[in-house]
Amino acid sequence: MICTGCGCLCDDLDLTVAEGQLLEVANVCLWGLSRFFPCKRSHPRKERRRILKPLARLNGRPREVSYETALEQAAEILGAARRPLLYGLTNTGSRAQEAALHLARKLRARLEPADLAFTAPYYHSLRKHGLYWAPLEVIRDEADTVLFWGANPLHSCPRHPVRYSVFARGRFTERGVEDRRVAAVDLYRTEVAKFCHLFVQVEPGRELQLLSGIREHLEGAPGPGPAVKGTRKLAGFLSQGDFGVIFFGRGATYNQGFALLDELAGLAARLGEERPFVLFPLSADFNAAGLYQLLFNELGSPEAPDFGHESGLLTTYATADWGEFDAVLVVGADPWWFLPEEQALALQARRVPVVSLSPYANRTTASARVVFPTALAGLEAAEVAYRMDGLPVVLKQVLPAAWPTDREILLDLAKAI
Amino acid sequence: MTHDLKSCFFEVGAGGAGGPGPLSQGKLSEQHPIGWYGMKIKITGGRLYDPAQGINGAEQDLFIAGDRIVESLPQPDRVIEARGRVVAPAGIELRGQVATYGLNFLRLWGRFPSLTELGRLYAAAGYTHVHEPLLTLYTAGYVHRQLAALPLVDTSASLALNLRDLDDSLKSPNHLEELGQAVKALQEKTRALDLRLLEPFVRYRQPFYSHRTLDAAQTLETLTRLALRCELRFSLEAAPEVLEAPLPEPRVFHLAALGRALTNPRRLDQALAHLDRGGTADLGFPCQAAGGAAEKPVKVDLGWYHPLNLTPDAGADAGAAALRLARQYQGPNLAFSVDGPVRRPEAALSSWWARLRDRRPGAGADEPPDREFSLWDWVWATRTLPARLLGLADRGHLAPGARADVALFDLPPDTPPSRWADCIARCRTLLKAGTVVIEDFALVQPDAPKATYYRRTGAAAGPLLAEICQYRSFRPENLWVTDELGGDWVGLD
Repeated sequence: MICTGCGCLCDDLDLTVAEGQLLEVANVCLWGLSRFFPCKRSHPRKERRRILKPLARLNGRPREVSYETALEQAAEILGAARRPLLYGLTNTGSRAQEAALHLARKLRARLEPADLAFTAPYYHSLRKHGLYWAPLEVIRDEADTVLFWGANPLHSCPRHPVRYSVFARGRFTERGVEDRRVAAVDLYRTEVAKFCHLFVQVEPGRELQLLSGIREHLEGAPGPGPAVKGTRKLAGFLSQGDFGVIFFGRGATYNQGFALLDELAGLAARLGEERPFVLFPLSADFNAAGLYQLLFNELGSPEAPDFGHESGLLTTYATADWGEFDAVLVVGADPWWFLPEEQALALQARRVPVVSLSPYANRTTASARVVFPTALAGLEAAEVAYRMDGLPVVLKQVLPAAWPTDREILLDLAKAI
Repeated sequence: MTHDLKSCFFEVGAGGAGGPGPLSQGKLSEQHPIGWYGMKIKITGGRLYDPAQGINGAEQDLFIAGDRIVESLPQPDRVIEARGRVVAPAGIELRGQVATYGLNFLRLWGRFPSLTELGRLYAAAGYTHVHEPLLTLYTAGYVHRQLAALPLVDTSASLALNLRDLDDSLKSPNHLEELGQAVKALQEKTRALDLRLLEPFVRYRQPFYSHRTLDAAQTLETLTRLALRCELRFSLEAAPEVLEAPLPEPRVFHLAALGRALTNPRRLDQALAHLDRGGTADLGFPCQAAGGAAEKPVKVDLGWYHPLNLTPDAGADAGAAALRLARQYQGPNLAFSVDGPVRRPEAALSSWWARLRDRRPGAGADEPPDREFSLWDWVWATRTLPARLLGLADRGHLAPGARADVALFDLPPDTPPSRWADCIARCRTLLKAGTVVIEDFALVQPDAPKATYYRRTGAAAGPLLAEICQYRSFRPENLWVTDELGGDWVGLD
């Protein structure tokens, strides 16, 4: 079985199913566990509530309604909207993503991937510096110099270090971590430090200085001013080895994301002049890669498409201003979890209706006007998903589903509008 | 110029150019057979070009019933007027790099069309089949997903073998049978149409593994024995060292994208010798760069000795060398193809062909042409021969029984050579399996059915295959391409 806990899509899970019920999952991490069982990600003993029936708000309170009623209401909301937003899609299957793109076209809506703020600086930087890319298999087999920048794989994709990057035994890294040198750069000392040969804790706002210092050291001309602590060691670390990889996480894109990724991509390109060196985004959502593949294939760009623009189609790396939309459809994401409180309150004050598709209750479903319960991709619904390196796998249905899939609901919505 | 067709081809295994097996449709295709809504059509008054039947511009009617070409029709449902137009089999792109893993990154620069556009461009240029040259064991699912997203045209792909996976077996002459079975099983499991070698040698970047190295001569000698014993055939991506290496039996190797390997006159002679000995090849004209700001390097490391360069130098030299070879070679074994990711299918081959047509001394090459290139040659090199090389028995010709993939071009006999490239770059009418897809230069059937072709080898997965898959990052069942990862499938026996 394939785990949809994160972008690793580990395919070595063993499930025990009896009489249509899932009893046990082996080889799974906590993230995966929360996909297979109704428990919270970091607290496996805390239950998550499964949404059992479609919900629609009547007089401000959510009531259970039939699927047809929920569909009618959602179609009415989205059909009447002048500026709809279709948000999320990084935690849903590729077929659902295709249906969502079709719906966004029909609604003349903006479609925004949930992790646009994370990936936009990356794709932007590639345009300037080019790219050396390798799938995780080659990285596992060959990378002997691994740097995590603003990434904590133990939290974003827990089995990544074991399967691909640190402890994995590859073809030319047969002794696992003993054949690799691992370093990390982060604002705080994270758990990653326990297995890293070098951990550089950088003060907030000094990452760019650290990167330019590394470049200067690599060129053999360190600047006269005081360097950020760890610059020399990190430059020495990166200049050795036969095959390097920099995994960057969301920590690299919170502040000055575009400038930082520009520098990181420049550093990878500079190091790549002497040996293979890969810059790799550590996607946490299980099918973020699938969404960008779809955007590339259909629109020729990984930018967020806006079908409601006066020019017909505008694609942009800029994240959406939630203040400009008058209806929101959320699929495969929980934006209310991280939306700044003032923005959430502003949406509430403007009475912007939200339609949410989710298997579990979350903050977004709590604020939504219409909620559709959905089948879990890869457990209750067959789907296709792309691993974080862009390789697709087929997710199988192993349990009977009592709910429609994301794709079915999106197609029904497109028909109803 | 005509060719002796009987002597052009040979029988080598299931993928042999002259002996493709019977076509059988896969499960999905049985539900929606291609051309199911085709009608009875008569194409009247056109100048037919069909080298397979020896028809060289004769004014002749063509009859189509359903998805097939038929001898005659008493009462057609529709008549397509083709007076003054060229009627030819639809194009078959022998080396269309459209779905290679990593190619999507090229779209970042905005000068590479989306798959939807690309499919339409191919159809507009008169193509109905595109063959992707680079599918590997673990990118097979990706490539097939991409090919399925390419609209309008049928697709297929080559399995590019990484010989590092097979180096032990290549060194051991007693295991050729087992190796052959493993390769065939891989081909079927990844749903590839044929086999390809990018690096016909085993070399490691890590000095520690240098004892496992196999040079090109050793490797090609073993592969020849393997091919002869197990009825295999390989497309060999041309490189200078490939031409330098002795090819003991040229008929088991098709040299792909020759242009870039022809770096000096000696290599040109070596390529001609290969063709004269009965081997086949495709030219590999460089794809025309779209111009504008320079693209940044995009390289993808697939575990070979060299990374795959997706932004190769446009290669004016390679183009000139390919032209020179085409002009010097007099036989039938040379197909047209492009080298590198395809950006503008409508212009990729037509512009090179127009340069071949140009008989002025020095036009496109350093010496005057040795032969005159006619429409017959163009149809042969872009339709008939590619179909045979891919084992598509019912394509590339217009004989009764062939699938009705037909392209009509506005190319009056008195067209000056300067306009030929424009005329053949866009077809006026394209029929795919008897369905009109392009009419009056406009796309009229955007949802025309399409399928992906692969070779059914029937080989069982043995211990060697299990060993190859043992160290992959996916379990074997997730490496194999299943129905869900592609569109309609058609298995060729």
